[in-house]
Amino acid sequence: MKIEEQTVDSVVIVSLDGRVDGSTAPDLEKHISDVVERGNTQILLDCSNMDYISSAGLRVVLVGAKKCQQGGGKLMLCTLRATCKSVMEVSGFLTMLDYYDTREGALAARS
Amino acid sequence: MLTFAEEIMLLILDDDGSFLPTRGGAVEYILAGAVLMDLAFANRIDTDLEHLTCLDTVPTGNPILDQALAHIADSSQPKDTRGWIETLAGQDTAEIRQQALASLIERGILESQDKKFLWVFRARRYPTIDGRVEREVRLRISDVLLSDDIPDPRDVAMICLVDAAGFLRDIFTAGELERATPRVEQLRKMDLIGHEVGSVIAEIERSVMMAMAISPH
Repeated sequence: MKIEEQTVDSVVIVSLDGRVDGSTAPDLEKHISDVVERGNTQILLDCSNMDYISSAGLRVVLVGAKKCQQGGGKLMLCTLRATCKSVMEVSGFLTMLDYYDTREGALAARS
Repeated sequence: MLTFAEEIMLLILDDDGSFLPTRGGAVEYILAGAVLMDLAFANRIDTDLEHLTCLDTVPTGNPILDQALAHIADSSQPKDTRGWIETLAGQDTAEIRQQALASLIERGILESQDKKFLWVFRARRYPTIDGRVEREVRLRISDVLLSDDIPDPRDVAMICLVDAAGFLRDIFTAGELERATPRVEQLRKMDLIGHEVGSVIAEIERSVMMAMAISPH
């Protein structure tokens, strides 16, 4: 899994590329923790290139969302591929976290 | 930190130290789910909707978890989460229960008492010596279910087990439980192992009810 980061209008966009599973989820957890520790609690996970997410990945997303909320911010998701979106829907994550079909939609909703 | 099996054992015992009945009488599925959850949180296994995979065979140091981990790692037949819950539940879950109780006794949370009833029969009970841990578990569950905050994944998993065991009614009043129901329904899908434990027990319950409905009086 590759993780890239950019900041747009005080939102840290974390772009995921590849599989978020038991072997890569710890890297994502550390990345999100680092972002939050730098004082950024508005995070958008751009999932356009994420092609798989397991339970370990889902747990890390939840931990990240909780950290952002505790810091007064929010973790949002956007652009999930069909299979990952289906996993997120079945597991109820999309009823708990804010999801947007496009990155622009997420940033517009934030501003 | 207590294991899931240890935490659920605290809720399975009543104030007197006797075992409460679990929903569907299926405590072995709860304990099997608890073991898998501990392995998942220890990053030894991972799951998705179709598979349960072994990530790391390095022992955790907990004999029950390591026994299950070795079983999963050595298995030549791939199974999904439900398959492993059924496999582990079909084995001797008394060992999981005994190890959890022994650990709680060692930590000074429970004690073991042998009592005689009807002057002949012996019964072992596990009264609580230090109720703080159990109160903390109940409080955590209650805090998560009665708020809209984003939950900790560990609390989500525990709530799935408690819900599957039918113990939420012991934690909440009827009014609170009604208020918490939409939240329970949301959370019970969020942990795959917990969700599968709940599904298996719901099926057992339905089968028992059907058998009772068709059996002659």
